[in-house]
Amino acid sequence: VTLTEAIRRNEAISKDLSPFSVVLACGFTPMHMETFLQARLAEAMPGRQPLIRTGLYEDIPGTLDACQENPPQAVAIPLEWSDIDPRLGFRSSGAWTQQSLEDIVTAARHQLSRLSAAILALPKGIRVAISLPTLPLPPLFALPEGQSGAPEFLLHQSLTEFALAAGARPQTVFVGKQRLDSISPASSRHDLKSDCLLGLPYTTAHADLLSSQLAALLHPRPPRKGIITDLDNTFWKGIAGEIGPDQVSWDLQSKSQLHALYQKTLAALASRGVLVAIASKNEASVVEEALRRPDLLLSSNSIFPVEANWGPKSASIERILQTWNISADSVIFVDDSPLELAEAAASHPGLECLLFPTKDYSLGLKLLERLNDLCGKETVTEEDALRLESLRSNASFASLTRQGEEANPDAFLAGLDAHISLDFGAAEDPRVLELINKTNQFNLNGARYSEAEWRERILTGAVQVAAISYQDKFGPLGRIAVLAGTLNGDTLEVFSWVLSCRAFSRRIEHHVLSTLFQTFGVAEMQFDFLATAKNGPLRDFFASLIGSTPEGRIVLRQQQFHEASILLPHTVRVDRLNAAGKS
Amino acid sequence: MDELEQRLSNCFQTVFTGIDAAAIGAATPSTVAGWDSVASIKLLNVIEEEFQIEIDLDQISELDSFPRIVEYLRNPPAAV
Repeated sequence: VTLTEAIRRNEAISKDLSPFSVVLACGFTPMHMETFLQARLAEAMPGRQPLIRTGLYEDIPGTLDACQENPPQAVAIPLEWSDIDPRLGFRSSGAWTQQSLEDIVTAARHQLSRLSAAILALPKGIRVAISLPTLPLPPLFALPEGQSGAPEFLLHQSLTEFALAAGARPQTVFVGKQRLDSISPASSRHDLKSDCLLGLPYTTAHADLLSSQLAALLHPRPPRKGIITDLDNTFWKGIAGEIGPDQVSWDLQSKSQLHALYQKTLAALASRGVLVAIASKNEASVVEEALRRPDLLLSSNSIFPVEANWGPKSASIERILQTWNISADSVIFVDDSPLELAEAAASHPGLECLLFPTKDYSLGLKLLERLNDLCGKETVTEEDALRLESLRSNASFASLTRQGEEANPDAFLAGLDAHISLDFGAAEDPRVLELINKTNQFNLNGARYSEAEWRERILTGAVQVAAISYQDKFGPLGRIAVLAGTLNGDTLEVFSWVLSCRAFSRRIEHHVLSTLFQTFGVAEMQFDFLATAKNGPLRDFFASLIGSTPEGRIVLRQQQFHEASILLPHTVRVDRLNAAGKS
Repeated sequence: MDELEQRLSNCFQTVFTGIDAAAIGAATPSTVAGWDSVASIKLLNVIEEEFQIEIDLDQISELDSFPRIVEYLRNPPAAV
């Protein structure tokens, strides 16, 4: 993005959109960073109006301290060496003598401690994106050509300690150095003349690229939930059906290390809760045998389901999506055949189709980085660890449901030995906001919240937030639903309600409403329903209760609910009712 | 306005939102609201992008009116 384009984009941002306030805490003249950051945020979050506040010149800790008075929703800190000590920049006349080096190192350590303390003291819920120094140190060490020494190491040590300390604060994230180095080469970042004459150290290109990284951290895209992979010449080298399951390879000796790196990447993502499935044109027995090999770098236990057949890949993908119960736009498909990718893409709009480059290792590395970009998660929750097992259970559940429902659905559900718990003291659990922000199908209105917005919402008025967990004889599903509403007289006004698609078909939604009517003794519940492109399952649920397709705000009276109700065989527990979402 | 002046006028309109197009030809910091030192830098960066040139920062203080910038663009200083 050029400066001209950024200015024009910023002019085009509608003032009617909901504002997203960001403090840009930088020690230099923030002019171009302000322009580019606003433009990049507008690009990352269409539908919002990014508003950038700049802070105090050469005083990042002071700018952060001021956030206590007037908290923004996010903070961006493009930190440079000159913010750590002016003598580490180019505008100061402070000495670089041997005698002063020790003082510079000591002063830098103190300033970084002050900075981390200011970050740790920021109000909860504010997202903070930090870039560690991107510009070169000035030539202050007076060492022979190309040599580093102790003072420089000590500066980097202090910087690392700062990053570890500040990064311990939730919602505090750092720009990745490797990625920034690849898109904005070190030699193209600094404009020394502009730095000295105007206090603008960045070239416009670097200001834009750094802003793009900060914006991506302040408003990250929801990660893709699953990867569907081909096998032959993708997961491993060779065609298992031709050379035999014991001859396919993924190692250095067989010149197939790229496939080993691919398996390791899948294993790393699977260990962080990303689903992995197989869609392969193969004999099922051949695939089964190959997946039993003990030297696989991604355990076959981490793969579910496996679709090995001679039908179209798109049909295999369709069955996998049904098993996972997620939509194509949450999933990536990797194959070495452009034809298979095209066939899958045509049948599944939104599916991200990536080519496995069997010969080109450089492109192969880009593929692995792309998989991390699309699927990587900042934090791993308890539910991430449970997801795969609960999907396996779900498959058994669905199979038994089909049989059971045909015979006696009430008896079948009663035999699940299911327990539901509603916890009213978990409103600030990150899983609660994660569920609200990533659930599509059973979602009251599609509203998404930043952590700051969520905190503000739940701390307003008599808000009740129920975090709902479920388990049955097939195992625990973990925290799978959230309902949030405001108690107003004898009405509960629900503004958010989501239920994970993993937990459908168990009457959990009925149990939740029944329990809330009973717990709060309200005569009616009102729901801020808004139809979205994906929330058909929730719309159908309400239609079954009120007898017509809802179109806007839904009013559900207690008597009406009970008249439409069905057998509710699970046990229900209510926890921490008095906590009521307040901290 | 010739083509060069029209392109320069567009740069002014990008940086100074709502500027009276008719007044651009005689624009100076005293006639344009918001034309301060910060806006000068932004304007010159936008001009650099539009004309694919690099303006020597030493000359910023001299480029303080539409006619002076036109003159600079028509007769850029020789590269050192």
